[in-house]
Amino acid sequence: MRLCYENIRVRMGKKEILKGVSLTAREGQVTGIIGPNGCGKSTLVRTTFGLVPLSGGTVWIDGKNAAGLSARTVASLAGYVRQEISCAFDFSVLEVVSMALYARRERGGSAEAIAAQALEDLGIRYLEQRKLFSLSGGERKLVYVARAVAQGTDLLILDEPTNHLDICRQIFLLNYLKTCGKTVLIVLHDLRLAAHYCDQLYLLSEGSVVSSGTPQEAMSPRLIREVFGTGGRVVPAEAGGLDFGLDFS
Amino acid sequence: MNAKIRRTLLVAGLCGFLLFTVVCTIQIGSTDIEAWEVTGILLDQLFAGGSGLAAGVWEMPHFQIVWNIRLPRVLFAVFCGAGLSICGAAMQALVLNPIADPYVLGISSGASAGAAWALLMPLPFFAGQFQTAAAAFAGALLAAFTVYFMAKAAGGGTLRPVPLLLAGTAVNAVMSAVTSFFIFLARSPESIAAVYNWQMGSIAAAQWKTLALPAAATAAGLAVFTLCGRTFNMLMMGDEDAVAMGVCVRRFRAEMFALCSVVVASFVSVTGIIGFVGLVVPHIVRLLAGTGDNRLVVPVSALLGGSGLAWADALARSAFGAAELPLGIVTAFAGAPFFLYLMIRRGFAGGEA
Repeated sequence: MRLCYENIRVRMGKKEILKGVSLTAREGQVTGIIGPNGCGKSTLVRTTFGLVPLSGGTVWIDGKNAAGLSARTVASLAGYVRQEISCAFDFSVLEVVSMALYARRERGGSAEAIAAQALEDLGIRYLEQRKLFSLSGGERKLVYVARAVAQGTDLLILDEPTNHLDICRQIFLLNYLKTCGKTVLIVLHDLRLAAHYCDQLYLLSEGSVVSSGTPQEAMSPRLIREVFGTGGRVVPAEAGGLDFGLDFS
Repeated sequence: MNAKIRRTLLVAGLCGFLLFTVVCTIQIGSTDIEAWEVTGILLDQLFAGGSGLAAGVWEMPHFQIVWNIRLPRVLFAVFCGAGLSICGAAMQALVLNPIADPYVLGISSGASAGAAWALLMPLPFFAGQFQTAAAAFAGALLAAFTVYFMAKAAGGGTLRPVPLLLAGTAVNAVMSAVTSFFIFLARSPESIAAVYNWQMGSIAAAQWKTLALPAAATAAGLAVFTLCGRTFNMLMMGDEDAVAMGVCVRRFRAEMFALCSVVVASFVSVTGIIGFVGLVVPHIVRLLAGTGDNRLVVPVSALLGGSGLAWADALARSAFGAAELPLGIVTAFAGAPFFLYLMIRRGFAGGEA
């Protein structure tokens, strides 16, 4: 399933947060969005679900204009993991993940089986009966990812899913996303992970796409220095694939 | 399986406790009536069509007290307690705030301002309970949406706990002032006494004829909130998550706010403002049930809140002999310390919320 943002504009007050962003997440690929804090990455993915009002442009999910779809239909097409992990009320892990079945209209036993499978896939089945409040930040994040997976969509949108995880779990999660066969759109801060795992990358700065393409194309040393103010380049990883080396200057 | 047994026991136990409460609290009051007599009169009326009464098994005055004075009052307390508790559970989910209930968010005082207006300056048509309830509903709705939009504007487009509570406090103050202003305008001693009475909260005015509306509204609220329990659960994860999981949050929230207003408005013209029930009961239930799942929390809150308020009212009418203590005072004395205890125990005021 393909996800297309076409010329997205978002304005909040006088500030234009997104200035006509176009981006495509292709079928079965991992598409990454990178960029400095406040460049509009989260705002862009949030427009998919109507969480931010558009002042221009269209979000196309599987060829359909998202603005014309009900929340339930969008939820049956795309799963979403938000950036923060805060929550005001306590639920058990299994309860949280089972909530994902709402859009699929699954109830009871089959819902629990699907939820359990999603937890299994993310390696946190052992947390099943634990309460959300008793979990560490990283565990909680994985629970939210499992919930999005349990939604059973062909499209997953994740906003910085790695930022509470330890390194081992970051790699585990990205390997899972890479091999799950779904269309994945992911906001990342870690440029090494972006270089290694993303098929396509979009570099955002101040509400516009600065570059896009394969990691080598999108992260040229010149652009990295321009956008992030620090040097670095895409390099071959020892174990194969790509890595990103920082100049620390 | 363990959790299922625990839940079944909880529901069954509280159902039994509610029946026990009804029989026990009918005994309590200025005239002592034995439990066997209460049970006998109730069973006779319910299943034998009053044949025991006709045969003279019990005295007529006792029958009058049990069936026509105390039973409607106890049932009113049950419906009112249940209604406040399910609205508390629902509103805590709707505004993502464990410290929300109809009282805190100004819905109760909005409803009472509306009811005061209808009681003191009734329109010439449709006078009576329905006009009062309709005016109370309008006041409740006005208060609910004012609080909601004020909080949203102050929180920069999202509902944050602190602006929400501040908005609730402000609307509460305004609506209480509006009520007092209506009393000032009316200038009739009886109506002023009546309004004063239910600003403190009391169900002394409950009768059979005022029971139908709260019973219907509470039953409707209980059914809808329980059936929408899944949606409430998702809302408790936060707006973003709820939307992404397929809930049309805006519409759902508006509809459920309106239903809360209906439930609260249905009894406020009789009871006035009774605080802390809606706030405390859902928290106790979440602790007892070991889950936040609203499919369980809502019905169990109704059972516990109904029994709890019946006991509080029994205390209010018996503690000081013939002089009735306003019910709002009892619930505040019982509820506030318990709420503080919960707050310290869970630490939710500072931590997660």
